Amino acid sequence: MKIIKIFLITILSSTMLLSCDVEDGKDLNGPSTESISSGLSRGELRETIGGILSDMRIQLGTQIDAQSVAGREYWRVSSSDPRWVADLLTGTLDNNTFYTTNPYAARYATIKNINLALEGLANTTEAFSAEEIAGIRGFANTIKAHELLMVLNQQYQNGIRVDVSNPDKLGPFLNYQDSLSAIFSLLTDAAADLSNAGSEFAFVLPSGFSITSDPASFLGFTNGLAARVEVYRGNYSSAKTLLENSFMDNNVGADLQKGVYFSFSLTGADIANPLFFGLNATVANVRLAHPSFVADAEAGDTRLGKVVFRETKNNDTGVLEPNPLVIKDENIGDLVGEHDVFIYKSNIDPVPVMKNEELILLYAEANHISDPVAAVAAIDVVRTAAGLPAYTGSTTPTDLVNEILKQKRYSLFAEGGHRWIDLRRFNKLGELPIDRTGDGTFEQFPTPANENK
Amino acid sequence: MKKHKHYSKMKILLLLIFAPAILLAQETITGKVVIEGTGQGAAFMNVVEEGTNNGTSSDIDGNFSITVNKLPVKLRVFALGFAEKTVPVSTAGDITVQVKESTESLEEVVVTGLATSVKRSNAANAVASISSEDLAGLTPPQTLDGALAGKFAGALITKSSGAPGGGISVKLRGVTSVNGNSQPLYIVDGVYVNNSSISGAGLNAVSGAATGGNASNQDNPSNRIADINPDDIESVEVLKGASAAAIYGARAAAGVIIITTKKGQKGKTRVSFSQDMGFNTILNYRGQRNFTEARAEGLGAGQGAAFLAARAAGKLVDYEKEIYGEKGFISNTSVNVSGGSENTSFYTAFSNNEEDGIVRNTGYDRKSIRFNLDHTFFDRRAKLSLSTNYIDSKSDRGFFNNDNTGTTIGVALTSTPPWADLFPDANGAYPDNPFGSSNPLQTRDQITNREDVNRFIVGANLDLKLYEADKSDLKLILGGGVDYYELLTTAFFPKTLQFQKISNTGLNGLSALGTTENKDANYSAFLVHNFTTNKDLNFRSQAGLTKQTFYRNTVRNIATDLIAFETNLDQGANISVTQFRQEQEDFGFFVQEELNYQDKIIATIGVRGDKSSNNGDANEFFYYPKASAAVNLHSFDFWKIPVMNQFKIRAAYGEAGNFAPNGALFTTYTNSLIDGIAGIVVPLTLGNPDITPEKQKELEVGFDAGFFNSRVNLEFSYYNKNVDDLILQANIEPSSGFTSRFTNAGNLENRGIEIGLNADVFKEENFNWNTGLLFFKNTSEVTKLEVDPFNLGGFGTGLGTFRIEEGKSVTQIVGNNANGDLVVLGNSEPDFQVTWSNNLRYKDFTFSFLWHWKQGGDNINLTNLLTDFGGVSPDYDDISDDPAGVTPNGPYRIGAFRAGNATPFVEDASYLRLREVGLYYTLPTKFLDQVFRGYVSNFKIGFSGSNLVNIFDYNSYDPEVSNFGSNGLSTGVEVTPFPSSKRYLFHLAVGF
Repeated sequence: MKIIKIFLITILSSTMLLSCDVEDGKDLNGPSTESISSGLSRGELRETIGGILSDMRIQLGTQIDAQSVAGREYWRVSSSDPRWVADLLTGTLDNNTFYTTNPYAARYATIKNINLALEGLANTTEAFSAEEIAGIRGFANTIKAHELLMVLNQQYQNGIRVDVSNPDKLGPFLNYQDSLSAIFSLLTDAAADLSNAGSEFAFVLPSGFSITSDPASFLGFTNGLAARVEVYRGNYSSAKTLLENSFMDNNVGADLQKGVYFSFSLTGADIANPLFFGLNATVANVRLAHPSFVADAEAGDTRLGKVVFRETKNNDTGVLEPNPLVIKDENIGDLVGEHDVFIYKSNIDPVPVMKNEELILLYAEANHISDPVAAVAAIDVVRTAAGLPAYTGSTTPTDLVNEILKQKRYSLFAEGGHRWIDLRRFNKLGELPIDRTGDGTFEQFPTPANENK
Repeated sequence: MKKHKHYSKMKILLLLIFAPAILLAQETITGKVVIEGTGQGAAFMNVVEEGTNNGTSSDIDGNFSITVNKLPVKLRVFALGFAEKTVPVSTAGDITVQVKESTESLEEVVVTGLATSVKRSNAANAVASISSEDLAGLTPPQTLDGALAGKFAGALITKSSGAPGGGISVKLRGVTSVNGNSQPLYIVDGVYVNNSSISGAGLNAVSGAATGGNASNQDNPSNRIADINPDDIESVEVLKGASAAAIYGARAAAGVIIITTKKGQKGKTRVSFSQDMGFNTILNYRGQRNFTEARAEGLGAGQGAAFLAARAAGKLVDYEKEIYGEKGFISNTSVNVSGGSENTSFYTAFSNNEEDGIVRNTGYDRKSIRFNLDHTFFDRRAKLSLSTNYIDSKSDRGFFNNDNTGTTIGVALTSTPPWADLFPDANGAYPDNPFGSSNPLQTRDQITNREDVNRFIVGANLDLKLYEADKSDLKLILGGGVDYYELLTTAFFPKTLQFQKISNTGLNGLSALGTTENKDANYSAFLVHNFTTNKDLNFRSQAGLTKQTFYRNTVRNIATDLIAFETNLDQGANISVTQFRQEQEDFGFFVQEELNYQDKIIATIGVRGDKSSNNGDANEFFYYPKASAAVNLHSFDFWKIPVMNQFKIRAAYGEAGNFAPNGALFTTYTNSLIDGIAGIVVPLTLGNPDITPEKQKELEVGFDAGFFNSRVNLEFSYYNKNVDDLILQANIEPSSGFTSRFTNAGNLENRGIEIGLNADVFKEENFNWNTGLLFFKNTSEVTKLEVDPFNLGGFGTGLGTFRIEEGKSVTQIVGNNANGDLVVLGNSEPDFQVTWSNNLRYKDFTFSFLWHWKQGGDNINLTNLLTDFGGVSPDYDDISDDPAGVTPNGPYRIGAFRAGNATPFVEDASYLRLREVGLYYTLPTKFLDQVFRGYVSNFKIGFSGSNLVNIFDYNSYDPEVSNFGSNGLSTGVEVTPFPSSKRYLFHLAVGF
């Protein structure tokens, strides 16, 4: 019996030794961030760039909706999230709620993708040519600047963090002006890189970037963004130069819609255009044009086609009847929406990142003090395209600013919350219509609580 | 006292075969076995000639006859439930053997080691045991975990929704983890059984629930323990904390539920058949707003007239009743055959459970086949046990809970007034709902959301006595088991649905198919050595190894823009695929020493070591020690309190672990696609390669006391458990590119008491009344937090949210008050719970019921707010919420919401509930014998119900609810759930 015992103990202990080693757990569901940051290979470049471009679109709908509501371009109604018609119209904002936290986090996630790619590029052992490296870096820094500007547009005087490469040691918050400077210098670096990036990128870009598919043409986008920053900073002469080196085409009859776009599709992991809703949508999810958009328009402005009068066919009479949507509130008053926002005709229509029409109006602003004639000419390019007669008003800076803001309001309607940003720059948020008792405007979104600012 | 019938045909057969050979010298002993005290004949007692295979059994009246070769002999008389007796017989002829009913031999055992168990009277832990009778005997439960509610102290069991087929959270002694697993480990016949809740493919593509304020998908899938048929279970043991569960080491911090299924008994083959029939109905309607023309007009211009017109035409519809008013048909059929010979016994069972939901096209269907086999060999020195189970379960769960698209049935109802006309026309075409983005009737009638499971659970155990001597023995125990299942999730949203129409921004039909293959396996090998000294000091040592492997592969496919009404994935214009894989390997050892001094002092000390591929260093051992002692004071000579026949004091300490959630080690890119260019994007959560398991340390002390010969028993326990190295998915500054990170950054503590009182109030021949009262409470505190306080599990401070904060309760609910200050608004932990169970028997009638009172514990109720927005809340026009008594509830809550004041949404979720009630009648044996001539041994009929009486103030369907499913902290958040139901059943059981 003793022998059996010893025998079995031997078997047991040898089993223990054999099976003792447990293999380290593996990450089965995707590559680790380490695999990119420790050295970017040519094979990984394509998906790294693809990821950056894809991630730029995350929470885009929330950001554009929130800023557009802030600028009273439209009302966003969602029966399952009533804060759209509460906080965002009253101006009493929470620092831990989706309208500020979600876009903020999404933009910084894209920046993280870029930073990991840039780290990987610095550590690469792949035989990239100097031109290819410059191209990748120029592209990455341009997109990073765009994403930082998106955050800054919401955060405004709160300022933002620009140095965020180390999660354990995040850089300080820079104030608004310093943030703009930092973004501008990123774009300057990017422009320098792109000028030395040869004739083609080492990666492919989606169709939304078709007019900027090589380093030279992409520089036109970088400069356009830089011009936007300079206009925001009031550096009009620098902006003018940059615009002249951008993809701007300010000839009469130019394609105002030419530009850089976010692409969407329904294929696989791709995403749909978050800014598309069908006509006559219900309170469940709808964008209702603010009544002032129609009321304030000049007669004949074709840009009124961006909204559609809500009507439905009466099943009994067969007659089309108005179908306004009313957001009732017995205490403070109702919101009555008669028009749907209808810029995108399908859920795969592209959304502009920056388009010629904006550049022309930035050009008008850049010139409105120094060269009013050039400013009016630019305004007229836009007016003509909208079916309106040439501008005949006063050319004092004050009046020109008002005209430019009005054209931007109609030209960039519902495309990025431009109206809110522009009115804010000129201290004109007080001119926004207030619809209900207790409603109000606000200058900026609160810094997310988790930033521990 | 149950009489177990033992009867061996085999022995008679042997006797018949060998009888001729021993005819030469034989003596016949006849006699009767009677029960000591009553003198009644003891039926089916085994009577065996000692040292031989020669044996027989007594008949129904206790009479027996046995032929032996020569006299004198010793006869061994035994059966389960009686003390074994050996009588010397020196002359042939009539004898009378008196046997004593024994409580000892029936006494349940509780697990103390991975290879050993002890008598309950010697246990140092308050291990809860639930017998099959308690589990499913009162009223048949739908799922096993649901059947545990109210049956033992120290648990908070919450049903996430009323959708058929489970979705239940079991929390033992408070919340034990914030972001890690908080559900107990389930072990069925030694097999680690998977209890995942795996989200079906595709629902989020429609509901968009995760795109808003909370990233949880809120799909509310069922949890897989629902597959185990409660009817197959012989007993359930609950190890509530580390002090008892340390033997399971790294997976045991949330407690362990050990399930033993039924086994065959030696003797006559028994067949039993049972059939339950019944129905369920909604537990409680929220009700309808009392509309007037003016109130209706408040919903929009022209609605007042529409309301009047519909009222005049008698076309006002109570849509709540329309959707939730079904009586769901219930049918449970079960057949089992069991029996056994001297060395082999078997139990086979087939069951079919069908239950329709209270919403049309929802329901649950489970078929289960079980075969258990036990075989002893090598002169009874080896025992092999095999337990096999095949399950085919299917649940149709409807489309409920939160969404961001207005498409779930629950959310659609929140804006649908009674004058909406949503019924299909003569051609079956449903009108669009002008009050929302979906027509709930159409959604109910046309969508599919199904979980389909095919599952095998197989376990084997070999118990081999290697060595045996007078005072010592050595056993080898080998065990292994596999739990394998395939889960198919099917979601189909046809293009005719209001929200699928292209004209309504729909996807033109969506078909989603998810496949999960899950395989968990476990193996163990143990040596157990027993040694008793001359002074009755028993040492039991055990040492062994365990190994577990886990494998899961989930593939989800979603096809949209479908061709016609096809559901195949290739019939869509856009197809997307996601895959999730998980593999884990754990390895551990366990050693333990148990000392027992004459059943007076019982002490145990042991340690388990575990390592796992889920830890940062896969080969680092984490150690989980345990030690316990129990002293049976009443067994000592100095004990002189006759009225108190038992008094045991006990103390136990143990440690157990909890792994980081899968993937916590890594920062893994997720995939993306833009215009055909595949991409990689950073995940939301930053991984941590240095993460270690959470460590729970529990101390439990208590006493067990028995009075009046154990007619009254009192059990008291106090526990204190600390969880160190709490794994937190803590917030990180979002500018880092991540929104959270995994880190070991805190400690929490749970303290509580559990008191159990059980009494046989009456114990007469014709009337028995047993009553049991349980009282338990738990309080928790975050004792250390190394990261900033953070909110989780809700929709932000404007609507009420949980918040992890040092020095505060783990389950506190915070929110902004009317002044905009962040304050504590409630706590989801109940103040205390009390259950009261009763078993009354009068002659052949038994009547049993179980009351459950949960006092305190708050919910975040957002269903009200949504119906306020839709203007259809039943209490919209009442004035009760406004402290000033001015504003009606609807506008008041909307106003509070607009001001970011969460106060009105946190509600007391106390309840008093008649969980189970049953009345049964067993036909007398005499009657059965006359009518069925002995073919039927048992015939029982009865009625039962669950949740028949519910008393609560909570302003919705049921305070027991969870929008976020079963795991984690955030049970008790309500957003338009599938309402709970009550059940009424009729039973018939026949034994052959």
